[in-house]
Amino acid sequence: MMPNVLINNLPYLLKGALVTLELSVVVLIAGNLLGLVIGIVATSVGRIGQSLITAYIFVLRGIPILVIMLLGYYAFPALGYRVPAYVAVGVAQIIYVSAFVAEIVRSAILSVPSGQIAAARSLGMRRFSILKEIVLPQATRIAIPPLLNNSLTAIKQTSYVSVVGVWELTYAAREVVERTLASFQIFLGVMAIYFIICYPLSLLARRWERRAAVVQ
Amino acid sequence: MPMIEIRDLRKSYAELEVLKGISFDVEKGEVVVVLGPSGSGKSTMLRCINLLEEFQGGGIRIDGEAIGYTTTEGGKRRRRKEAENAKLREQVGMVFQSFNLFPHRTVLQNVMMGPLKVKGIARREAEALARDLLKKVGLLDKADQYPARLSGGQQQRVGIARALAMQPKVMLFDEVTSALDPELVGEVLRVMRQLAQEGMTMIIVTHEIHFARDVGDRIIFMDHGAIVEEGPPANILANPKSDRFKQFLRRYQGDYLDT
Amino acid sequence: MDFLVNLLAIWARLYPSLVSGFAVTISVALAAIPLALLGALLLTPLRMWGGSIIHAVTGAYIEFMRNTPLLLQIYLIYFGLPLLGLYPSEFMCGVIGIAMQHAAFLAEIYRGGIESISQRQWDAARAMGMTWATALRNVILPQAGLRILGPIGNQLIILVKDTSLVSAIGVVDLTMVGKVSIERLAVTLEIFLAIALIYLALTGALGAVLRIIERRVLERIG
Ligand SMILES: Nc1ncnc2c1ncn2[C@@H]1O[C@H](COP(=O)(O)OP(=O)(O)O)[C@@H](O)[C@H]1O
Ligand SMILES: [Mg+2]
Repeated sequence: MMPNVLINNLPYLLKGALVTLELSVVVLIAGNLLGLVIGIVATSVGRIGQSLITAYIFVLRGIPILVIMLLGYYAFPALGYRVPAYVAVGVAQIIYVSAFVAEIVRSAILSVPSGQIAAARSLGMRRFSILKEIVLPQATRIAIPPLLNNSLTAIKQTSYVSVVGVWELTYAAREVVERTLASFQIFLGVMAIYFIICYPLSLLARRWERRAAVVQ
Repeated sequence: MPMIEIRDLRKSYAELEVLKGISFDVEKGEVVVVLGPSGSGKSTMLRCINLLEEFQGGGIRIDGEAIGYTTTEGGKRRRRKEAENAKLREQVGMVFQSFNLFPHRTVLQNVMMGPLKVKGIARREAEALARDLLKKVGLLDKADQYPARLSGGQQQRVGIARALAMQPKVMLFDEVTSALDPELVGEVLRVMRQLAQEGMTMIIVTHEIHFARDVGDRIIFMDHGAIVEEGPPANILANPKSDRFKQFLRRYQGDYLDT
Repeated sequence: MDFLVNLLAIWARLYPSLVSGFAVTISVALAAIPLALLGALLLTPLRMWGGSIIHAVTGAYIEFMRNTPLLLQIYLIYFGLPLLGLYPSEFMCGVIGIAMQHAAFLAEIYRGGIESISQRQWDAARAMGMTWATALRNVILPQAGLRILGPIGNQLIILVKDTSLVSAIGVVDLTMVGKVSIERLAVTLEIFLAIALIYLALTGALGAVLRIIERRVLERIG
């Protein structure tokens, strides 16, 4: 049990880290964009649309990501599509993340005092410009800390794709441990890699939380 | 022996000297009103008397007991033990501008908390005492309400009852009516006036100048962390000597002429 | 219609395994929740009022736990402890891993709650002659406790969902029941639909209960 097991396998693990980063970037961009759209739409559609979105958010947020991924993994073939596993679970992750983002965006928008909107309307502003000039800037400040924390969670849960056989950092770690039995070294080393990716985001989230607290 | 004895009290926040050597006595049963512009150090002085702030120089005695620090024979200043200081604080009641009631406890529980948790008095006695005090401030019917349901004036009267429940030798009031709507100020001042008549030793920081004249035995005017003038209300309010006090009174003349 | 009949038939055959998987999921949650709550209770005072070394160590623990995947924490325990000559069951490894991470998140919630109580409450308590400990116990902690009811509830719901990760080390919980039933029933989606619905009912019910408790408690003190 010398630390050189970790060092010897570092190139391999870093290749896995690269896949984890790619997966994270795709899931974060797509998940946040999709959630943003759903969240904004939720505040500007009729009763039925709102109920549908509420159901979308409630259902996804109430189910473990692992189960959503397994559903995604089996849904494509069951519906007659043959796609690689990483596409299926990637789509599942994006949809899962979007539900959390949508909820954050929606409640941030709804937390802008209605008096502000009334005031803007009395100035003769149109719906779209009220949203763009008044509501979104204020909602953004409220939404950023939870969005950052949510992104942090999203990155960490990309590791769960290894459970359904998608190769990335965590999968690579398991392979190396099976070969070398150096579980402490390898897992701690890999956790350190995740930490290096996640911690800056964590600090950023905390900074924004503090800033938000000062504004209030 | 004076009930409160303050000698050359000095206090700084880092570079900023906030109290620059304050000295005065308050006799037993005396009511001293402290006037002064905002930022002159009034709150800081009261907080030092109750040891909510550390101070760097001088001394404070309550009924002969040194508060916060003792001086050894070699002239060295030593902080007293936390338990000793907590004991001394029991003798000093304090009422705050922002009420600071405990929101998770009912009115009655707020008033009982000191006797119960600090003095260790039996629950039955503590409750009897608390009900007496609530009656005195006219809020017995609110005993089982939570503070959030009360008006500002009512909350502040509970604040006074809560401080009195410790049966302190001295009461400190820090702008207790400043956060109140004008129509609620009277009910709080009435309670304070009654306390003064009953012989409570009090230091009152306020901007209510007519109240100061009516109730105060002595007025102290502070500015920039020092006492500028002091004397009996009738004299000092009629013939302010310093320009700063004249200016201050002119600003609050509205209140003064109101009476 | 055919599809629906078919689905119900599959679910009927799945039912016994679902029940046992559900029981395991609940057991993991019920074992991990008190451990996590207590662990956080231990961490918080060390983090807030410990000496500088204790403060640094607990801080490092909390940050490490918050910024690494739970799956790896569980692997570390499951594959690491045998190297130390310890062989806890898969169930225990899962419970410990979940409790360790959630204790870190809960400790941050506790700390946030305590720090959110204004200095004025401390002043009022100490002005009455309360010592620091008396003030903490009677004035600060009860208020902080009320304030963090909601966040704690949310964290516990996340914990319940995270129990599904114990399937990765072979605990036959609700999620694992799904995986092992695939071969037996030769279907996939139908199985995981049932499992998803059960989790949804579980977290939904837990959320509703927690919200009711929170509302009951908070409406008193406004
Ligand atoms: N915690 C603190 N840190 C730094 N400066 C303070 C603090 N509290 C009060 N001060 C400063 O001390 C001075 C006196 O404040 P204070 O006693 O509150 O005055 P007053 O009650 O007469 O309005 C002010 O200049 C204020 O800015
Ligand atoms: Mg003041």
